[in-house]
Amino acid sequence: MARYLLLRLADAIPTIWLVLTLVFIAMRILPGDPALAALGDMAQPQELAAFREKMGLNVPLWQQYLQFLFGVVTLNLGQSYMNGQSVMQLIAYNLPYTIELTVVAMIMGFGAGIPLGVMAATHRNKLPDSGMRLFSLIGYAIPDFYLGALLLITFALNLKWFPINGAGEGFADRLHHVFLPALTLAFVKAAFIGRLTRASLLEVFGKDYVRTARAKGAREPRVIYRHGLRNALLPLTTGMGLSLLATLSGSVAIELVFNRPGIGRLLINAITERDYAVIQGGVIVFAMVVVLVNLLMDLVYIVVDPRIRVS
Amino acid sequence: MSLNRRNFLELAAASAAMSAMGIGSAKAQSTDTIRMGIAANGPQWTDPNYTTQGSDNWATEQMYEQLVRPEDGNFATTPDQYKPTLATSWSSSPDAKEWTFQLREGVKFHKDYGEMTSEDVVYSFERAMKDGTNTTILGNINSVEATGPYEVKISLKNPDALFLGTSAFNNNTSIVSKKAAEEMGEAFKTDAVGTGPYQLAKFDPEHGTTVTRHEGYWGDKAKVSTVECVYIADTTARTLALLSGDVDMIEAVRAPGWVDSMLQRDPNLKFDMTVPGSFNTLHINLNRKPFDNLKVRQAVMYALDRHAVADALKPMGGFMAGLQPDFFPAGFKTEDLPPELQYNHDPDKAKALLAEAGFPNGFDFDSNCSQREDYSSTMLIVQEQLRAVGLNMNLKIGDHTAYHADNRKDKNTLAMHSSSYPPIPTQLYFQQLSSTSEVKSDGSGGGNYSHYGVAMPGIDDLLKKALAATDFDAYVETCKQIELQVLRDLPLIGLSTLSFTVARNPRVDLGYPIKSGYARWRFHRATKTA
Repeated sequence: MARYLLLRLADAIPTIWLVLTLVFIAMRILPGDPALAALGDMAQPQELAAFREKMGLNVPLWQQYLQFLFGVVTLNLGQSYMNGQSVMQLIAYNLPYTIELTVVAMIMGFGAGIPLGVMAATHRNKLPDSGMRLFSLIGYAIPDFYLGALLLITFALNLKWFPINGAGEGFADRLHHVFLPALTLAFVKAAFIGRLTRASLLEVFGKDYVRTARAKGAREPRVIYRHGLRNALLPLTTGMGLSLLATLSGSVAIELVFNRPGIGRLLINAITERDYAVIQGGVIVFAMVVVLVNLLMDLVYIVVDPRIRVS
Repeated sequence: MSLNRRNFLELAAASAAMSAMGIGSAKAQSTDTIRMGIAANGPQWTDPNYTTQGSDNWATEQMYEQLVRPEDGNFATTPDQYKPTLATSWSSSPDAKEWTFQLREGVKFHKDYGEMTSEDVVYSFERAMKDGTNTTILGNINSVEATGPYEVKISLKNPDALFLGTSAFNNNTSIVSKKAAEEMGEAFKTDAVGTGPYQLAKFDPEHGTTVTRHEGYWGDKAKVSTVECVYIADTTARTLALLSGDVDMIEAVRAPGWVDSMLQRDPNLKFDMTVPGSFNTLHINLNRKPFDNLKVRQAVMYALDRHAVADALKPMGGFMAGLQPDFFPAGFKTEDLPPELQYNHDPDKAKALLAEAGFPNGFDFDSNCSQREDYSSTMLIVQEQLRAVGLNMNLKIGDHTAYHADNRKDKNTLAMHSSSYPPIPTQLYFQQLSSTSEVKSDGSGGGNYSHYGVAMPGIDDLLKKALAATDFDAYVETCKQIELQVLRDLPLIGLSTLSFTVARNPRVDLGYPIKSGYARWRFHRATKTA
């Protein structure tokens, strides 16, 4: 197993290298000058030149690229052009907030999506099923930043049930702060997982072993949860992986709308300010997460379906 | 103890109800804390010598002071309007090249860093001359020496009749504790030891800055004990934060209609505005045909209804007859200008001038614009006004950072620029009109996007004369000549001014009115009611 994991991680190195190289090139092609962004549009030429020299922006591109790769290998991602903070520190500060948001949103999304999917599948072509399909349609159609703004206006501004921005301090306060943004992300997730659960269950319900279970006189909840849902878990696991990655990318907009710290907000701000070092650091985090989530999903398959073995 | 499903559901319902009951009171705010919503991603520095993000100065303004300051909420438009602050009196030599300041005794630095003396003042000036964001202007200082424990003499390379405005009341020359700055080294950039009414309590690069009352302050102590600068870059989130009561004040969105929309949500809101705020100017690239033709530039000027531009931005917008508002030194009222330089809106005259220039049907041209609200809204109005006389400007609206980078590489035809200036006209002339600031296609040039002074004779000689003036009146007189010269040549058009605006909950009273000044003000006189 350990060898398998190491091989999978080694496989990811070219992917991460490619992503980093593309980001490095893309940032240099994009119009915009980091020195001007940092010092302001009225900065004098000599001040801009001094800044470029200090930040190593005046050396040839290939040299900047090699320095960047060396930094990645030695875990030194440089410092922010805007405030001189270490990129590693910025990531270490922001990443837990994004993880927190993602985890809570996943719990909420799955917590709502699976029961909704079960209900729709067990009431096929009846009112709960139609309701579920309508909910899915809305969930897919509504942009998360718009939904976030609606929830913010309703529950934070008008009803004052939730804080309007920030991430809070301490466990209870942080949960209170994360609830609305997580709900926003969970809404789309519940729609997706609900549909997936419904489709998987309907497929499983047609299988011989489900018919056999019913013929043996098993009670309906046992048929649904023991025989049906358990066997529908494999496609759900795939869905979970995709959903986790979608939540992570969705967190970018949500962190902005709710003014929460996090990797998404850090990245967007850095792009606006052409803070190359921070952008590159943020992208590394996203690339690593994608690789790790894929690996994790492969491992979950093994646990969920004993027929799959490490080969 | 076992927990069955029914128990679990009952417990969950009870917890939800309890938390819902508690939520309403969770945001109740202390009347001893002012929370300000800042329009930026996060604080970068607290050292005023290095702040490039204007919003960071809301915090530095509370913590630092200079030798002299204008009245709170205002600019000093003449040298006699400066108030003694860390200096109690000052004098200058007849040639305006030597300035001597008597320092206030008994001024305590924050955090027990001792009393401010001439050593700290010398140190503060010297570090700003050597490094920081304003070395160009401060480059005129030859030497700063302590001539006594409470006396400092500053010698200049060239005369500066406005030294109090250019260098003494300057963010970069805020007085810092020499001992603290030397002890902390690089860390001083995000720490702070000044003499102001508030001292730094917390610097969090992700959330914001908190300052608390400086109990050893030499003047009247701050009435509210804590000021929190909360950074909320997203305009919707910031607006909602104010409307929900999460913050007491926010930096406004400077776009047409924003104030009205806010008043519809909450008619009790107060709006503090500096006049003039930003100077919105329009550079005409003299290297791009046919804008090298004076008649075409005059046609542009007559096509523009600058009063309409200012009105569209009301109540934040203001009119400039030239490049300065009329109450600033060298500013003109329209009626005080020669008739041929008043350029009252006249589309027919614009069309006639275009015909004389060989363009009876007008012409098309490309221009870039930033997507930032204040830029795009102004340039869209300009586009419509020009279209009415046959000048079809194909406006490419893009990212703000990229826009400025492109301008710096001479890629624009009509380049709008928005920048704030104190009542020191030569700063605008130097940055936007002097030949030494000419834009270069390799990005190594400055902010003179029109190539004035290179593509055609400019104002360099007059600027030199103004900068050599030894008294204020002579300085202003020369600046007025520059204003007239620019109105004759039209390389740069003053489109409008745009006030810096803060929307404020009426429970906070600043203690003084905001009339003019930089985009930051002090809170030491503010009070807050429940």
